[in-house]
Amino acid sequence: MMLRLTFWLALALYGAVYAALRLAIHPPIPASVLTIYMLLTAIAILVFVSADERRFTQFIAPLAAVFEGRAPRAARIAVLAVIPLAAAWATYVRVAPSADAPFELRVIHPEPPSSLSVHGRRVEIAGLQNPLRAKGSELDKPIREGKTIYYQNCFFCHGDALAGDGHFAQAFRPIPANFRDVGTISMLQESYVFWRVATGGAGLPKSATPWNSAMPVWQDFLTEEEIWKAILYIYAGSGSTPRTWDDEVKHDKH
Amino acid sequence: MTSISRALLALALASAAGAPRAADPNLKTEPVKATPVTEDSSAGKALYARYCTQCHGDEGKGDGPAADFVYPRPRDFTLALYKVRSTPSGQLPTDHDLFNVISEGLPGTSMPAWNKYLSENERWQLVHYVKTFDTLGLFKDEAPKQRIAVGSPPQMTPELIVRGKELYRSKKCWECHGKDGRGDGEKADTQKDDWGFPIRPVNFTKSWRFRAGDRVEDIYRTFTTGFNGTPMPSFVDAIPAAEDRWALAAFVKSLSRPQKTGQVLRARAVETEIPSDPWARQWEEIDYLDFPLAGQIIVKPRWFKPGHDVITARALYSAQEVAILLEWDDGTHNRGERGKPADQVALQFPAEKVTADEKPYFILGNAKRPVDYWFWNAADGLRRFTAEGAQKLAPRDAGSLSAKGEYRDGQYRVILRRPRKAASEHEVEFEPGRFVPVAFHLWDGEQGEEGLKMAISSWYYLLLEPPVPSTVYLWPLLAGCFAFGGELWFMRRLRRRREVRV
Ligand code: HEC
Ligand code: HEC
Ligand code: HEC
Repeated sequence: MMLRLTFWLALALYGAVYAALRLAIHPPIPASVLTIYMLLTAIAILVFVSADERRFTQFIAPLAAVFEGRAPRAARIAVLAVIPLAAAWATYVRVAPSADAPFELRVIHPEPPSSLSVHGRRVEIAGLQNPLRAKGSELDKPIREGKTIYYQNCFFCHGDALAGDGHFAQAFRPIPANFRDVGTISMLQESYVFWRVATGGAGLPKSATPWNSAMPVWQDFLTEEEIWKAILYIYAGSGSTPRTWDDEVKHDKH
Repeated sequence: MTSISRALLALALASAAGAPRAADPNLKTEPVKATPVTEDSSAGKALYARYCTQCHGDEGKGDGPAADFVYPRPRDFTLALYKVRSTPSGQLPTDHDLFNVISEGLPGTSMPAWNKYLSENERWQLVHYVKTFDTLGLFKDEAPKQRIAVGSPPQMTPELIVRGKELYRSKKCWECHGKDGRGDGEKADTQKDDWGFPIRPVNFTKSWRFRAGDRVEDIYRTFTTGFNGTPMPSFVDAIPAAEDRWALAAFVKSLSRPQKTGQVLRARAVETEIPSDPWARQWEEIDYLDFPLAGQIIVKPRWFKPGHDVITARALYSAQEVAILLEWDDGTHNRGERGKPADQVALQFPAEKVTADEKPYFILGNAKRPVDYWFWNAADGLRRFTAEGAQKLAPRDAGSLSAKGEYRDGQYRVILRRPRKAASEHEVEFEPGRFVPVAFHLWDGEQGEEGLKMAISSWYYLLLEPPVPSTVYLWPLLAGCFAFGGELWFMRRLRRRREVRV
């Protein structure tokens, strides 16, 4: 039964892959990359179908029916018309002049440098810890102070709910980071976040398009301690926790 | 405000609210819906402390740590003055009104929409808690309330809009909101709210700035109920007939348009000379894009409360020239008089040819990658700079760059034009099909903006639309024929095979 439907299943799979790539990925992948993925998908499907003689016969059966003239007249005409039209359309899309902005590949979390300069002092990133956490117990007060710092410096971009949707966010591209998203601070170590906050967009390497990032260089405005407090707050406020150096060690042992 | 004036104002308000106006025969009302969730004051308090104090303050006075950094200021809840209501002017809001505001936020302000982050139950607890800041006990003594029945809007016909326009004129909405609704009326500059802070009439062309919603029903409700605590009164007495108020709402709605954003500003090719009149029909006919702006809060000195939130641009090019038309609304025409800086606008391009993979820093470039900065000022027109960073602007000869700007009915229109060929060092060439990065800076003199105190955008692209070559249609035609031929060949082959087999 399944075998009889090979052709339709293959078609459905191709459609599903297309829909997934088009709709489920944010930000949308550029058209040229999409074309490559879809080509690979088509090849993969063809390789799978042709690996087995019986499967292949079933796969081409509907096509054979059309071209041998056994399928109903309407279906024959439809297929004969659709294929050239699709070919023409695909060609048109390729050759028509495009007004889409040039694609800019941006590495969101580039490799950090081994050390950074904060207020003229060299700070090693490896092993760097939030000094406010070291004290252990009392975090309420620095978090509260961090909240004030956040609301006088960061919330315009990163938003009230720390979701990257402050009232200035839409003017900037890339958009400000969403701290509630699992893909941002919750997968980073505090040392990395410290580097990002202290040196801002301008401190990014070339692969991360530093010229476009609106993230300010916070060491120009805040003391080191204030930066750490703000970091405490963005974790506490978004209900996430930093990755720790211990995680890293465990990770390496595996 | 001093504590005495606060107390006096409070007294006046209390007496006003205590004695509700005689039921207005022109105002259809309906009973208020019951509040579905009962108060749990400790839950409300905790939620408020976590989500609201930074703006509205620990005691609800609107004086949290963020208060000085946003316009309009966060609300002071102690006087129980609320803007977005369904109740008649001067009255308290219903619980559902507060619930809606907390859920939907106030567009165009920093008051966020909390429905994305807080559950319905949590939002109801906040409604109860916000009411506890009312120092006058107004909510406590309140009699059972009626809300204004909005009903469904009539058909939006051109006649209705014309009638609305007439009412807009005769009821003097334009005194504050301006002839074309751009918030530029003669009384616009002098308005203050009940707390003594300056307040500007809403610009009706920006649909995204209507705090109480931009549907016709919302607009109807807004000026039927009025915004308590502001110079925006209820117009029930002045415009008693509901049909007239609907007509006015329809007119106001017809002035507004949504924001249209995009990455690429496309310049259309023209055969003739590019028109030099910013109001020429040729400009109106081409597509525009809105570029959202934010306060420049990235380099010192930071500017948190920009006067402008958007700039609109269109572009044309001819065989020799490229021209960009910039449009923005401004309630006041500042030409550097009255001790205030002049209104200004600037366009920023890379000073050298760049690829998409490496641009100058988006605020005025840097030493390695300078920017070409075209700058127009309402007092003394065009100036040009090469900038190598926010503090490093070097004036340069404008060369063959030219500008023409004008202010009319609350709107600026400025055309900046240049030959397409690069004539001097530090300028890029504009060729059809090439994407040239462009960014926008805008200053509102009325707010004291100058230098780095400005509104800024990210990098976008300017593209001179390349002419469409005829091969664009030829290739698809060939591909279609080729595919069809292939089909026929395949069909013949299969049939012959089958005949052979048979
Ligand atoms: C002018 C807008 C703006 C302000 C203000 C701002 N940021 Fe950012 N921030 C951004 C943008 C845009 C990004 C994303 C681009 C990037 O990574 O540089 C970002 C990224 C970040 C990241 C990196 C997250 C990640 O997953 O890599 C952190 C951490 C961060 N911001 C923290 C802060 C803190 C803390 C403050 C206040 C002290 C702040 N930001 C203020 C715009 C802003
Ligand atoms: C980032 C700052 C900010 C935060 C956080 C904030 N608000 Fe507001 N809120 C404002 C501003 C600004 C206004 C006034 C806008 C205006 O007058 O147009 C306002 C107005 C209000 C109003 C009055 C609406 C009206 O119709 O007059 C209510 C009620 C309110 N806020 C409730 C809350 C609650 C509850 C929270 C916490 C969940 C909260 N706000 C958090 C900025 C904020
Ligand atoms: C005395 C000046 C004044 C007059 C006259 C006036 N308005 Fe207003 N209006 C204002 C101000 C000020 C605001 C902004 C209030 C605020 O910021 O809270 C406003 C706001 C509004 C809004 C609010 C939009 C929103 O949801 O944010 C509407 C709608 C409106 N006015 C309609 C009208 C109409 C219609 C008329 C004529 C019948 C009118 N106004 C006459 C001063 C005025």
